[in-house]
Amino acid sequence: MKAEKFFRTLPMKLSILLFALILFTFFSNDFGLVDIQKTAIILAVGIDKSDDGYTVASQIAVPKGSDRTTGGTSSVEIVTEGATVSDCITQIYARTGWVPKMVFCNLILIGEEAVHEDVFGFLNYFLRNEYMSDSCFLAACEGSACRVISSRSAVADASSLAITGLFSDAAKKAGRVMTITLKDLSIGYYGVSKSGYLPYVRMRLQEGSQSSGEEESGSSTAPQYVYSAEETAILSNGAMVGLLTDSETLAFSLLKGNVFAGTFNAPDEQKGRPVTLTVLSDDGKVELKVGARPEVTLHLDLRVRLCCRGVTAPLEDIAGDSVPDSVLANAEEKLDGDILSLWRKIAAADCDLFGLRRTLYRTSLKEYGRWKETLLTGAAVTRELHVSTTN
Amino acid sequence: MKFVSGDLAKTRDALKKLLPAEDILTFPFRAAGGLDFCAVFADPVTDKELLGEQVVRALLPYDGPHRAEEIAKRVTSPELRIERTLEGLAKEVLAGNPVLLFSDMDAAVVVGTKKLFLRSISEPSTDIAVKGPREGFIEDVKVNTSLVRRRLKTEELRIEMLEVGRRSQTTVALCYLEGTAADGVADEVRNKLREIDIDFVADSSYLTHFLSARPYSLIKQVGSTEKPDIFCAKLAEGRVGLLADGSPIALTVPYLFVEDFQSSEDYFVPAYRATFTRLLRLFALLVAIYLPAFYVAAQLFKLQLFPIRLLLTIAGSIRDIPFSPSLEMLIVLFVLEILNEASVRMPKYVGMALSVVGALVLGETAVSAGFVSTPAIIIIAFSGIGLYAVPNLIEETSVVRLAMLLIAGSVGTYGIILATGFILYRLVTTENFGSPLFAPFAPTVGRDLRDSVLKYNMGSLKKRPVSIGSPNRRRMK
Amino acid sequence: MSKISPRQLYFFLACVAPVGKLVLLPTHLANIAGNDFLYPLLVQYVIGAAAVFCTLLLVRRGKTLPVLLEEVCGKAVSRILCTLLSLFLFYATLVPLLEQKTFVQSVFYDTLPSLAAFAPFFLFAAYLMAAPLERQGRMWDLLAPVAAVGLAGILVLSFGSADYGALLPAVSMGFKSFSEGTMSATSWFYDSAILLTMLGKVEEEKGIAVKGMLFYLLGGAAVGLFFATFCAVFADTAVNQLFAFSKTSKYFAGITVLGRIDYFFIFLLAMVMAFYCVLPAQAGVDLLVGAFHKPRFLGPAVAVLLAAAYFTVSVSLDYRFGELVKAVTSTSFWVFPVFTVLAPVLLLALRGGRRES
Repeated sequence: MKAEKFFRTLPMKLSILLFALILFTFFSNDFGLVDIQKTAIILAVGIDKSDDGYTVASQIAVPKGSDRTTGGTSSVEIVTEGATVSDCITQIYARTGWVPKMVFCNLILIGEEAVHEDVFGFLNYFLRNEYMSDSCFLAACEGSACRVISSRSAVADASSLAITGLFSDAAKKAGRVMTITLKDLSIGYYGVSKSGYLPYVRMRLQEGSQSSGEEESGSSTAPQYVYSAEETAILSNGAMVGLLTDSETLAFSLLKGNVFAGTFNAPDEQKGRPVTLTVLSDDGKVELKVGARPEVTLHLDLRVRLCCRGVTAPLEDIAGDSVPDSVLANAEEKLDGDILSLWRKIAAADCDLFGLRRTLYRTSLKEYGRWKETLLTGAAVTRELHVSTTN
Repeated sequence: MKFVSGDLAKTRDALKKLLPAEDILTFPFRAAGGLDFCAVFADPVTDKELLGEQVVRALLPYDGPHRAEEIAKRVTSPELRIERTLEGLAKEVLAGNPVLLFSDMDAAVVVGTKKLFLRSISEPSTDIAVKGPREGFIEDVKVNTSLVRRRLKTEELRIEMLEVGRRSQTTVALCYLEGTAADGVADEVRNKLREIDIDFVADSSYLTHFLSARPYSLIKQVGSTEKPDIFCAKLAEGRVGLLADGSPIALTVPYLFVEDFQSSEDYFVPAYRATFTRLLRLFALLVAIYLPAFYVAAQLFKLQLFPIRLLLTIAGSIRDIPFSPSLEMLIVLFVLEILNEASVRMPKYVGMALSVVGALVLGETAVSAGFVSTPAIIIIAFSGIGLYAVPNLIEETSVVRLAMLLIAGSVGTYGIILATGFILYRLVTTENFGSPLFAPFAPTVGRDLRDSVLKYNMGSLKKRPVSIGSPNRRRMK
Repeated sequence: MSKISPRQLYFFLACVAPVGKLVLLPTHLANIAGNDFLYPLLVQYVIGAAAVFCTLLLVRRGKTLPVLLEEVCGKAVSRILCTLLSLFLFYATLVPLLEQKTFVQSVFYDTLPSLAAFAPFFLFAAYLMAAPLERQGRMWDLLAPVAAVGLAGILVLSFGSADYGALLPAVSMGFKSFSEGTMSATSWFYDSAILLTMLGKVEEEKGIAVKGMLFYLLGGAAVGLFFATFCAVFADTAVNQLFAFSKTSKYFAGITVLGRIDYFFIFLLAMVMAFYCVLPAQAGVDLLVGAFHKPRFLGPAVAVLLAAAYFTVSVSLDYRFGELVKAVTSTSFWVFPVFTVLAPVLLLALRGGRRES
């Protein structure tokens, strides 16, 4: 009878016990948890090589408060040094009392010196970290990454926001920048291509930013910068082996078939000034055929429209958007030059930017074994270009 | 058991002994050519005017045989009954029906001249339909059964009157459609009601405990409604209904969880609109339960649940709040619950003023004083509104919301998921009166899904729900 | 509670059972067999489907496993065999359980949480293990669409970043990797052993064995599609991507604007997974209770003890999960085919799949 009653009331007793337990954990509120109030939300990191290891500048978001009139994101940059990147990140806690959280890190910027070594020597930290998003953007930069990260943007609340703004889909479609994420770079690096690329960021002082600040406040303010990423660093075995110019970057983008509504200039001998053409459709591809010798075809078929002439034009000319044949021929010639220059650069650096080794590996293991070392240098290259207009 | 004797004085005294209360009055009179009568009645609940009109005045000129049956025929009241036991008479007197005792006769006549204090039939505040009937049940079981009878003019409608409660003797009307009600459910309900041993039944809600398979469970197992049209529709689907005297809330079994997501209006508007509103109710309920919990869990354990810009806004809002995110949310929730409770109970003339103080002044000043953050107030306010999208589940869902919040503050998102799994498991394994509570989802009953969260056109609902188990499947040809 | 209906069984085989194969198995196989990892999966599913077919043929006899065994080899041996199968099921629970734990610690928290964060799971597990197995049927009715929506959602969000060319070349790793992958994957395929414990608790239906097998293969196809997508998203880095199903969808373009909407689908699958990873232990407890003629408190008592034991194991093996997986997959992998393939086949051979006259 007693046992009967005990077991009948057992669920109720257990429920009360469970409720008490939940209340206890709720109010004690600490399983070593790191809540929002103890967190340093890292928006971006800049990594530089130093004498003893690395210097890392972490840009931490500092909320401005709920007052909508002061909205936006301000940030603070903490620069730390250590033997490894992990070391540097950990030091943030020691310096600020905030636990660094990398889940929102949207940009890893690699300094000039660091990018000339195998970047996966330090990027592996981010790959190993289960609490890090590998969909963050990667970029290399001129000079020190820490300096770029710590610089003040003239156009955004934080430098990282300004830089990642350059990597927007619109910029990518315009062919002005080749963006890449940590995941994609690691796929290239750990795959058979062992190659990759990084957008190359340059920082330029915004004219007048320093002086105007001084005039207004009467004290010196930090100079403001603008950023560009129209060049592309190419990597082989994780290290930077060359830099694509903005024209070569556009050619790369076009060959990838990425571009829509991007523009480029072509010479116009008749008028003596260049014209700007808008890309309406981009059918770019790189094909590989393997016979006695590998044959690479760089194929580009563009439809363009006249965007801007460097000289005054009659109204009926503006209303139409036809491109003279001579301009189209010049455009083909210009792009051909850019593509050739691009190919020479990547072949010389053994950077498999178009994943040709991967293509070969996937189609024929035997041929891959034969050509994997000399594919870029030994292949016969054909360029097929056709630029047409809408009319 | 004591019986009425031929001695009028003796019978009257015996009855008074059974009913010693001072409001039980006796009215002796002589009529029918010198025969002595005595009317015994409960003063507050008997219509004395009707008693004089229909009984005394009617009997004065009577000169027929002195037999109870014959005398009863002279009484002009439509509700008459011959009763021979004293206990039976006492019960009728207490119910407001006067009894008429005669000299030299071993039977008495019960006259139905009960005085009714009824409020008028009005629209229930908990179950409002913009389109559709506006009648609601009231506290009188007879009026309520009449409302049912008016809608179901069929000989198949059975209304059985049972009494529950040793002292309250509450009349409970068991209603069902013979041949349509699920097999054995009416018998089972009747048996359960007969087995109830309780002294007082104040409201039909008392009965739900006895009708539930898991009486201690948080999960509701008996349906309820205040509207006769819904009640009748449920009877027509094969359910069994209960109307308790003194309660405007009717009960129905078997109950399906999905019922409370259905509103009577769903059947009066186009099917696509009904489907949309049902999905909206479900969404509102889920948001109301889970939003505070996920908000807390995200802040404590998983910031990634917020998009970065929202996170920064929230981080800005809570920067100077002295409480942890979980405690902050709990405090705001408690304030809401207190405001809710007080606004229901407080007198109407102070209600408006206090609502303004509570909702606006308290909220606004709490935010400006930095006690709580704006997002917390927004979330709780939204959650508070969302729960009322399914008002019939408010008792359960408000508890679940609190539980989810506590779990979220303790172990985070995974705790919420486990708790949800546990609740679902309890829901799907609960059965009452042979019907699985979570049908037609689990077990999946394909045809019944047409009138669940989705609502098909009336033409597609030709058959009654399988989940209820009606033997008469077809309702439309 | 009524028996498990064939529909509920099919739901389990097609939708619930596959979920257990989406956490670590893809990464584990990618480690061993590279982008050939679909072949071991295919082989496991074909063997598994045959085992499911054999087991479900026994459903027609309408008897529980202890009764069937009793008819063949007597009461004492039947009890011993049932206890052995229960012990196997308790053992088979280890990998999914710890898999679940590491998954939760990684995906549900931003920083490594304390051990207590996973503790509620053991309360949940104890509750489920103490409940009769038949009750799971209705839960499968509910979990099947949840799992289907979860997996479909993840796949849809993943397609945009998938390059299915990564599955090529079709054969690259050789027979050794294939066989090693096949053998080590056995630890994730114990569904037919669970089905054995359901004998006598499933309603009969004409063609249940064939349909069950087809639904199991359908689930396998869904798993295969996910594996292919996983490989297509991560290519050579797949070996590093633990908790596969929580990773593939995070590259969806809309996430930058809306936040991690893929978590909605991940949470749905996590809930299904919580039920699935307790299932072998639950089946084991139910079998024990059935074999020993349902002593009243045996089920709850074993359930509580087992949950406590699992909790202890999970605490003590906290950072040695990899070693455990290695031990289970490489040293005791042979145990699994004995109970999941051999046992149903032998039982079928001894008792036949004919209806009891």
